Amino acid sequence: MKRQRNLVPRNQRSFLGVLTTLTTLIALGTLTGAGAQTPKVVNLTYWNWGVEGTQGQIDRFNASHPGIKVTWNKVPSSGFYDKLSTALKADNAPDVANIELQFLPTVISTGGLIDLNKYGVAAYKARFEPWVWNQVALGGSTYAIPTDLGPMGMLYRADLFKKYGVAVPKTWAEYASAASKLHAADPKLFITTFAPNDAGWFSGMAWQSGAKWFEISGDSWKVTINDSATKRVAQYWQDLIDKKLVKPGPIWADGWYNDLQTGEVATWLTASWGTGFLESFAPKTSGNWRVAPLPSWEAGKPAASNWGGSTTAVTKSSKFPKEAATFALWLGTDLKGSVKPLVKTGAWFPAVRGAMDNADLSLTSKFYGNQAVNRVFKNASRVVDTRFQWGPTMSQVYRDLQDGFGAAVNGKGNLSSVLDTVQESTLAAMRKQGFDVK
Amino acid sequence: MNSSLAHSKTFRRSRRNRIKATPYLFLLPFATLFTAFFLLPILYALEQSLFTQHRSGLGLGTPTVRFSGLSNYFDVFRDPVFYQGVGRVVLYGAVQIPTMLGLALLLALLLDTATVRFKNFIRMAAFAPYAVPSVVAALLWGFFYNPRFSPIVQVMQALGLGTPNLLGPDAIVFSLANIAVWQWTGYNTLIIYAGLQAIGPELYEAARVDGCTGIQMARFIKIPLVAPTLILTTIFSIIGTLQLFNEPLVLKQISNSISNVYTPNLYAYYTAFGNNNYNYAAALAVLLAFVTFVFSFGFLRLSNRAGDS
Amino acid sequence: MSVRAARVTAPRRSNRRLKLKPSSVLIAVFLFVLSMYFLAPLYWLVVSSTKTLEDLFGTPGLWVGKTLNFGQNLERLFTYNGGIYLRWLGNTFLYAGVSAVVATGVATLGGYALAKFRFRGRNLAFSLILGAILVPNTALVLPLYLLMSRLGLTDTAWAVLLPSFVSPFGVYLARVYSAASVPDELLDAARVDGSSELRTFLTVVLPVLAPALVTIFMFQFVAVWNNFFLPLVMLSSETNFPVTVGLQTWNVGIPSGAQPVLINLIVTGSFVAVVPLLVGFLLLQRYWAGGLTLGSVKG
Repeated sequence: MKRQRNLVPRNQRSFLGVLTTLTTLIALGTLTGAGAQTPKVVNLTYWNWGVEGTQGQIDRFNASHPGIKVTWNKVPSSGFYDKLSTALKADNAPDVANIELQFLPTVISTGGLIDLNKYGVAAYKARFEPWVWNQVALGGSTYAIPTDLGPMGMLYRADLFKKYGVAVPKTWAEYASAASKLHAADPKLFITTFAPNDAGWFSGMAWQSGAKWFEISGDSWKVTINDSATKRVAQYWQDLIDKKLVKPGPIWADGWYNDLQTGEVATWLTASWGTGFLESFAPKTSGNWRVAPLPSWEAGKPAASNWGGSTTAVTKSSKFPKEAATFALWLGTDLKGSVKPLVKTGAWFPAVRGAMDNADLSLTSKFYGNQAVNRVFKNASRVVDTRFQWGPTMSQVYRDLQDGFGAAVNGKGNLSSVLDTVQESTLAAMRKQGFDVK
Repeated sequence: MNSSLAHSKTFRRSRRNRIKATPYLFLLPFATLFTAFFLLPILYALEQSLFTQHRSGLGLGTPTVRFSGLSNYFDVFRDPVFYQGVGRVVLYGAVQIPTMLGLALLLALLLDTATVRFKNFIRMAAFAPYAVPSVVAALLWGFFYNPRFSPIVQVMQALGLGTPNLLGPDAIVFSLANIAVWQWTGYNTLIIYAGLQAIGPELYEAARVDGCTGIQMARFIKIPLVAPTLILTTIFSIIGTLQLFNEPLVLKQISNSISNVYTPNLYAYYTAFGNNNYNYAAALAVLLAFVTFVFSFGFLRLSNRAGDS
Repeated sequence: MSVRAARVTAPRRSNRRLKLKPSSVLIAVFLFVLSMYFLAPLYWLVVSSTKTLEDLFGTPGLWVGKTLNFGQNLERLFTYNGGIYLRWLGNTFLYAGVSAVVATGVATLGGYALAKFRFRGRNLAFSLILGAILVPNTALVLPLYLLMSRLGLTDTAWAVLLPSFVSPFGVYLARVYSAASVPDELLDAARVDGSSELRTFLTVVLPVLAPALVTIFMFQFVAVWNNFFLPLVMLSSETNFPVTVGLQTWNVGIPSGAQPVLINLIVTGSFVAVVPLLVGFLLLQRYWAGGLTLGSVKG
């Protein structure tokens, strides 16, 4: 052995030694470095109550982003925000969560969402309608990326209107007279159901009327739930209730589904996503419904509003905010992988502009008598009042409205007085929680 | 058996020591679980009730939590929603508890009579609702109250009696109470019935010799002797009633007459989870526990005093 | 003639009173009506689970529909949303079964100790345990949630199981029964024989306590099976739900009400949720009928 060692010259030996050492070090370094610095795959959890097509979106994202794996936690919509806020308080919230526009300020005010501006999302502002971006960017930070919207329209039974010779209403005045004509022609028929149990619908009506419930002025909130725009909506519906021209009762309930199916309700004022639901509620009436813009307060001046609509936000619990922000952005803006496939499944109105080409807008639906439904909502989304803002206590506002309307419909008070009550209770609730309210 | 060993002093002492340690060891599993998952949360709730959240300006960040002593409790004292909720559950209890226990007592007494046939069937029928989860019971009765499905309404319509609104504001308390009566009567019947079985037959012999009728026997022997059982079941019913939550939550979907803050427990739930105000919710829950305690203890005192006289 | 004959051939059993015929008819009618009251909703449930959605809306509640659709309803129930209902059912069995077993063991051990040993703090412990029954669930569940999330256990089975291992009422029952049915002489005999306390408990006491064990087990099993509020708060993923939370989820649905197809499933699902307990009750009649004596015996 002594002899063999002497066969290799000394300088070559040391060179080999250094080379070996270096190689070993580099190899070790790569291995440990890869293990310690960044994990090979970043795991993200995503909460969403099960919008159709979500799994497809996630699969496509995971496929196109090899370093990130998103897992979908299906949390049912009932109690969704309750669970989310509790999880935020306990700091074990999901990385990414689907949050509707009306509840975004509420979740923001728990301090649980991160500012996405540091991940460059501000550059995407121009890709959305201004009123949408106003609702996700508050106080100088951007908290969520919009995914879809709910521009409102009127679904109506064209066959019934034709049968009784009533013109399709274009203004609220026409709507009221259509209500009395239809009910006179068939006492079992009502133009629509007035639902005390969904304040989201009512806020859509108020929004269309030009209401401005919440406003950020400087460093404080301004609250006017009982402004004149909302009051005229309340008075309008109270009038119809008093005249017994609308059916008071809960929507999303079996009585209402039955009415839709048996033709005892002639219209449903709802958002674009309602078209899909109606098909599943009243399959027997297929072909009889059409979509029209919401009646307006002034003839020739169409105005629209929004009901619902979602965004994607990143929570403070996330250990990988950068990757989470990438996912949120992708969900809202990636046309090929995220947005367009959902447009195809129907009844999904994308927030990002230019997502629906002519083909999408011309999509017809048999249920709606081969009408190009998307186009109606697209037109509506262009005239949505941009000034509407949501407050940080919408759960409380909705609940108080719902409780109040429920009592009013039972004869205790009227819709207008409910607005005054809710104005007071909202001011009290917000002040109690420490918000600066003017 | 080595009796000398058994009676040796060291053996007896070590046995005594073993026996001394045993109860603590046997209680240890329960005590540990109890402390961790019962006492600790209660203490934590008490602690949380002494703090309040503070924000300023737009409040778009995490609120700061500051110690505020008993201010939450003072707020609850001034909170009409809390009082309304308590009033409702008290009214509900005043309807439900006497009905349920009265029915249970009556049923138990009747089952105790020899001439009743099909005793097992009746017992099983009465006890069956207990097997139904209260959420399912509420769903079931929801269908029974819903004019769209209700057999009650169908029968009444067939008899020309019009359509009752069982979910309306006038009837809703009774409709809710009915669910609890349906669910718990059988359970309480069996408890009372078991108590009746424990009464010695000699008492009845003596009573019959004295010429007592059946009803007199019930009044003077049976009822007084199951009184302790009745008191116990009443207290448990009071506790359950004041914490009413499941049934209104389920029926809320189909009735306009149930608000989100209908009972104190619902109010606390929505305050905690809907309004993110855990501190106020904790104070509500503590006060509800206190009210429950007052009612239960008060009833116990009352019945003891009545028993003495 | 028949009345007198009835009087003469009156029940030979000593302690029961004689009933005149009219009042016994009245009583029989009353009991019949009462039984119908208890069984009607369950009967409605059975009948409705056989109906199609149309028939549910269209046909009278207490009679069968135009077709018997039970098999199809079951199939839809078990396959909807990827078989989530079966998952819920399995969860419920798991939560109720494991909780009941552990709770029974732990409570019986503690109740026996409270009954048969004199030690310091005994009365305090018992009062504390009884007082625990007074605590409203809202006071408990939210701080429990925060505690569980510290331990990283929310949205897991443990979040439901661990609190369900605690049964104050079980301890009460065990104490009452131990005091009443376990004679001190038995214990002394075993101790003299050199048996350790644990062995005494396992081999001598437990067999005597068997009715109490079954009662406590049953009580806790039913309590956890029917529990709603605790799993509602602790669990967020629908794959972890028990059947109670699952059904309520369908009841509230998307966005805030049950979809029509779900109504059918809710009815059938409620039926299936009730069957195991009812069957269990029927089979275990012997035990709980006797075990409920415990509730009436004062400790």
